Amino acid sequence: MAAPEPAILPRDPLEPIPLIEGAHTDRTINDSLFDHVWRGAGKGWWALFGCALTALGMLVVAISWTLYKGIGVWGNNIPVGWAFGIINFVWWIGIGHAGTLISAILLLFQQKWRTSINRFSEAMTLFAVICALLFPLLHTGRPWFAAYWLLPYPSVHRIWPQFKSPLTWDVFAVSTYFTVSLLFWFLGLVPDLAALRDSSKSRTKRFVYGIFALGWRGSGRHWAEYKWAYLLLAGISTPLVLSVHTIVSFDFAVSVLPGWHTSVFPPYFVAGAVFSGFAMVVTWMIPARLFLGLKHVVTIKHLENMAKIMLVTGMMVTYGYMMEHFIAWYSGNPYEFSQFFRARQHGPMAPIYWLMIFCNCVVPQLFWSKRARTNLLVLWFASILINVGMWCERFTIVITSLHRDFIPSKWENYSPTWVDFSLFIGTVGLFSTLFLLFLKFVPAVAVTEVKELRHELAHDPTAEPAGETH
Amino acid sequence: MSCDESQEKAKTARDERRRSLPIFGGVAKPVEPPRVWRSLTERSRALPASAANEFPAGASELDGVSRRGFMQVLGVSTAIASLGAACQKPNEKIVPFVRRPEEMTPGNALHFATGYSLEGYTAGLLVESHEGHPTKIEGNPSHPDTLGSTTAFEQALILGLYDDDRAKQLRRGEKPIAWTTFLSETRTRCESLTASAGAGLRFLTGPTTSPLLADLRRRILSRFPRAKFVSYAPASGAGAVDGTKLAFGRPLLPRHRLTEASVILSLDADFLNDGPEQTRLSREFAGRREPGRDMNRLYVVEPSMTVTGMTADHRLRLRGGDVPAFAAALCAMVSARGVNGLGALGGLAQGPGSWDQKWLAAVAADLEKNRGRCLVIAGRRQPAVVHALAAALNAALGNVGQTVEYGAPLTTDANSGPEALRGLVEEIASGGIDTLVVTAENPVYGGPVDFKLAQLLKRVPNVVYRGLFEDETAAICNYFIPAAHPLESWGDGRSNDGVVTILQPLIDPLWGGKTEADVLATFLDEGHLGTHALLQKYWNSLSNLPASASGSFDAVWERWLADGVVPDTGAAVEAGVKLNAAGLAQAAGPLLAREGAARGNGLEVSFAVDPKVYDGRFANNAWLQELPHPVTKVTWDNSILISQATADRLGVETGDVLTVSYKERSVDGPAMIVPGHADDALTLPLGYGRERTGHIGKLVGFNAAAIRTSDAPWFDRGASVSVTGSKHRFAITQDHWTMSPDGRDIPPPAVAAPLSEFLKPDSKLHEDLEERRGPQPYIHKPVDYSKQQYKWAMAIDLNKCTGCSACVVACQSENNIPVVGKQNVWRGREMQWLRIDRYFSGSVSDPEVVNQPLACVQCETAPCEYVCPVNATVHSDEGLNEMVYNRCIGTRYCSNNCPYKVRRFNFLDYTGDISPAREMGMNPDVTVRARGVMEKCTYCVQRIERKRIETRIQGRTIAEGELLTACQQGCPTQAIVFGSLNDPNSKVSKLHGEERRYDLLHELATRPRTAYLARARNLNPDIKVD
Repeated sequence: MAAPEPAILPRDPLEPIPLIEGAHTDRTINDSLFDHVWRGAGKGWWALFGCALTALGMLVVAISWTLYKGIGVWGNNIPVGWAFGIINFVWWIGIGHAGTLISAILLLFQQKWRTSINRFSEAMTLFAVICALLFPLLHTGRPWFAAYWLLPYPSVHRIWPQFKSPLTWDVFAVSTYFTVSLLFWFLGLVPDLAALRDSSKSRTKRFVYGIFALGWRGSGRHWAEYKWAYLLLAGISTPLVLSVHTIVSFDFAVSVLPGWHTSVFPPYFVAGAVFSGFAMVVTWMIPARLFLGLKHVVTIKHLENMAKIMLVTGMMVTYGYMMEHFIAWYSGNPYEFSQFFRARQHGPMAPIYWLMIFCNCVVPQLFWSKRARTNLLVLWFASILINVGMWCERFTIVITSLHRDFIPSKWENYSPTWVDFSLFIGTVGLFSTLFLLFLKFVPAVAVTEVKELRHELAHDPTAEPAGETH
Repeated sequence: MSCDESQEKAKTARDERRRSLPIFGGVAKPVEPPRVWRSLTERSRALPASAANEFPAGASELDGVSRRGFMQVLGVSTAIASLGAACQKPNEKIVPFVRRPEEMTPGNALHFATGYSLEGYTAGLLVESHEGHPTKIEGNPSHPDTLGSTTAFEQALILGLYDDDRAKQLRRGEKPIAWTTFLSETRTRCESLTASAGAGLRFLTGPTTSPLLADLRRRILSRFPRAKFVSYAPASGAGAVDGTKLAFGRPLLPRHRLTEASVILSLDADFLNDGPEQTRLSREFAGRREPGRDMNRLYVVEPSMTVTGMTADHRLRLRGGDVPAFAAALCAMVSARGVNGLGALGGLAQGPGSWDQKWLAAVAADLEKNRGRCLVIAGRRQPAVVHALAAALNAALGNVGQTVEYGAPLTTDANSGPEALRGLVEEIASGGIDTLVVTAENPVYGGPVDFKLAQLLKRVPNVVYRGLFEDETAAICNYFIPAAHPLESWGDGRSNDGVVTILQPLIDPLWGGKTEADVLATFLDEGHLGTHALLQKYWNSLSNLPASASGSFDAVWERWLADGVVPDTGAAVEAGVKLNAAGLAQAAGPLLAREGAARGNGLEVSFAVDPKVYDGRFANNAWLQELPHPVTKVTWDNSILISQATADRLGVETGDVLTVSYKERSVDGPAMIVPGHADDALTLPLGYGRERTGHIGKLVGFNAAAIRTSDAPWFDRGASVSVTGSKHRFAITQDHWTMSPDGRDIPPPAVAAPLSEFLKPDSKLHEDLEERRGPQPYIHKPVDYSKQQYKWAMAIDLNKCTGCSACVVACQSENNIPVVGKQNVWRGREMQWLRIDRYFSGSVSDPEVVNQPLACVQCETAPCEYVCPVNATVHSDEGLNEMVYNRCIGTRYCSNNCPYKVRRFNFLDYTGDISPAREMGMNPDVTVRARGVMEKCTYCVQRIERKRIETRIQGRTIAEGELLTACQQGCPTQAIVFGSLNDPNSKVSKLHGEERRYDLLHELATRPRTAYLARARNLNPDIKVD
């Protein structure tokens, strides 16, 4: 069926940007937001999907080769025991943070603008965590043992995991995060799945959506329970936003290594995670709202808000960097001084460090300007640069710290191999594949919630006008 | 799943291979021809090799021809012959050292005394053997020149023994033949040679001190009076003996004693890491390194940094060609200080040289002040005149009988250098040679390039060559006889002191190799007897057996074998050595003038034996190839060593490939800038660029011998250099020096200071050291280990460590540490548990060096332990930081958190495809680690446990000194001490309480169990050090 192009009326420039543009009814919202599901795969989708699958293929090859030959096919060495594997892990986990933050914390703070983007970013969280989850297992020398020895199961060896190790904490933190994110995302989907079931034209689709809709009928009781469950999960997720990356940061902070052994890591990791998460949402949202016809529900205001959050978290990250350097100097610890003022700034990995400073500290300063915040092109490029910057940050933390530590005789350089690059590109492929499938089969925007928001806006005299009231 | 399957498959394949090479007493299996072959010859070669060993010794005395027919009839089925026979215990009786059980107890190692001869001199060794496989080499404590320690070369012999690349087939041309065929063909040849009294028969051997070989030579020469023996080794020279002839009027061999030497001057002598005395000299040298009034002082004059140079208190970099002039100037200076007896030698000085006159004066004064307690040593590269001047100085300073003794030369030939070879070359060129028997080490590769031995040897109708590998010489010989490895051979040899060691085999030749005596005996029609019979016959026939040899010969023989030394065989000290100063001065004048004139100007090209592959004979030894060079830390390569100033002048950087032209020849090699190298000089290490050897050593590095001529075997000026423009990437294990700007803020891990600082009770140094030891606040209450039976700990004395790296190879051998190859060293994945960190300080031109051996320091509060998610690294009750290999999942977090970076990770499957032969050399007490597993130094926990079991059975505790770690045992200077801190009288407890003690990274509160003792430099106050 032809998509009813939502009419966006010209707006008075003095009027604040609304959260839903245009005049809508529940019907038009339904039609416009389900459209990309019902429309069928277009050429563009197939082209993107093809690219994503190719990258995914690289991932499969790289993983197989790693399992067949060993970690030696990566560039890791002694002292650089961790490299791309851990960088990618931390980077992907960080990207996942925007979803949870938007879904949970903004929900609890009753931020209305979260509604149009929460589904999208929750899915991103989920897929990012899947990408991240590959690495803790894959980076071990013997993943076939790591797969279960890290779990506290009743072993005949009578050996349990070592609970003093942050890696053990990671297992719990990340698996909890994944489970809760999955539940949260799925719970939010249920009413929409039911709507999809109800509007399906084919029996098969009705059947499949019907299964996933878990028998949702939209009764008042359903809605009441649903709301409670959603709120509870939001409550459970909220500490996770803080805890997951805090625990990931412990992997580094708990060690003795100069550049890792830093108490500023937990807050600075969380800020960095939110920073990169929002950047990733913006990177995907700008094209998605264009191609999926979501401009009326994902307005410039949403993007501008996200830019503001990036500005704030970017400043927090910058503060983190400043503190690291300050403490390295102020503590008088020669190893830390050497790490921060020699190895990072002048060592062989210095270009990555300076790229990180540029992308993470300089680029977000653009967002002081409203013109930059509302210029899609600027926003899009800036968000990509922030993603690059955050990857460089993890590179600097993981590799630059390791390659120059206490005993100069065992300083080594690091250079990645094709497998390292394939793994990284491959996870981007995995992420994109999952994301494109998501866009194909479920609505990218929480339709129920947008409809609810429309009603709220319409009936709330204090709210900004949302176009036509009925 | 697929992974498990492939592992299973690999395991089956491994088991298959293991069965195909049964150990002693194993079941024989048919031997299949190799699955892959390049030619039919190669394929067929695999068969008779094993078949030849099927018959007991003696059975092969059958007529060769009929035996060959026999072989043809049996065909492939003959291959069912047990290859196992190749691995059985030798048939002859060999005698274990110390413990002499009635029969072997499976699982318990036996130790056999034997020896290894390099350049003719034999070092006494003790070889550990498990169920008939030798697995580890130690020095023989009863041997006067090893004293229980070893060199890196000796440690690496084990790997050489099991080298699957060794030559396995005796052949005539390309055709495989049996030993008996060779015997019968030689017999026929001998008959025809007898007619001419052996006029066309020549033997080219290595230098040797073996009484048996000398006897065989005598008997051959009496059968063929016109035959001749020539000995040659690429690293040999006649300098020392010729020098004494100049100085004392007769050829003598110096023997140095450092116990009494307070001041030592080395003239281009790497005496701590080269030569037959190195192990003993290292021990004696280190014995005088206790900081105090008694500490010795070492001056080294050399062109390129060596182990001895790194250890020096004062080092003068000087081109090799300038050393003679320096020696003459020193004579003058010493003479001027009132030392009598130098006479006319005082006038030899040719005016001021390129060196610092003050330096020379200070050394001369120091020598003069320490008359009778000093020593001047000249190196093997130096010409006779330098040796003569050194001898003269020693004589005049009253050192003879104190720090140096002279005895009659022990090698059969006085000269084994290029001059010895020249006569033979001329004879071959004139076409008079019919049969040439080569038992020397690969002369075609190592010989002087101007002799063109490769072309020349083709003109000899019959060249018989015995070698360990199908090498460059094997390629052009008519008969090739695979050599038996020293650990497979009977033999005898003498140390530098003259003490005889009977060499006994630890295992029957794995691939049917023959000894040098076997080959020589064929020319006496005794080739069938075997070396054991020849050896016993020779020693039994001696009328003048040593006095201690009372009783039946069999009993005496057994004692000799068990002890590893034949008592009372030490060579006599020559009495009445008198310096002929006038004669020497007369002779030395022209010699010095010639040295000066011939050297001319231009870059000096200088050749050196390599501390890793020697003259190329160890090129196929992967342990030595991967051993970081003691100075440059380069693995799997040699390099053109050059000073910073010269490199700057020539516009060269490390890694630039240079073309070095000398006379009309040139060679390409990568440059390496080394601190402390003499200016306007290039040092080219020998032994690399091998074209034909096993797959390990093939085409590693460049062949410096390509420009090494007979008239300049060690150095000459007139070389030129051009930069080719291409770059070479070295596999270096230690790129960064404390000189590196990156590390300038970091306190030096290895502490060194002038001796005066140590002697001052309240110096800043003592304060610093005090700060770097003792209790450090820690969040947890420290565990109390004082109630344990043992509290294992180590102390490493940086003042004694020379950086020779014997410990590194010892550790590799003891702990089954894999070799990773050049690519992986590039990536920084070398596996040696023990590394030697080398730190330069001071100026690039004249740096000071400290070597710091560093393995796991066994922290009491180990940062590696708390980060392991699966409890794979845990602490023992006695304070060892233990690795549980089969629990390890390989997160590498422990390594990241190890501040010393001493953990090693199996990034790839380094041990999965080792040859079945190599498997036999593994230490059965140590787990072979799988891929994906972390490993590190364990303080040789297997040795601790062995000793614990042994002493528990005896109802006692482990006594001090009875338990040695592998590195400690190998260390020639005894810089490494291991023991229990709960025994207040143990050596390690005392060292931990020393004033010089400090803990590495003490500020981290890791409470390491390995303590370091700071290095003291015994500086001469008259010499300014920048």
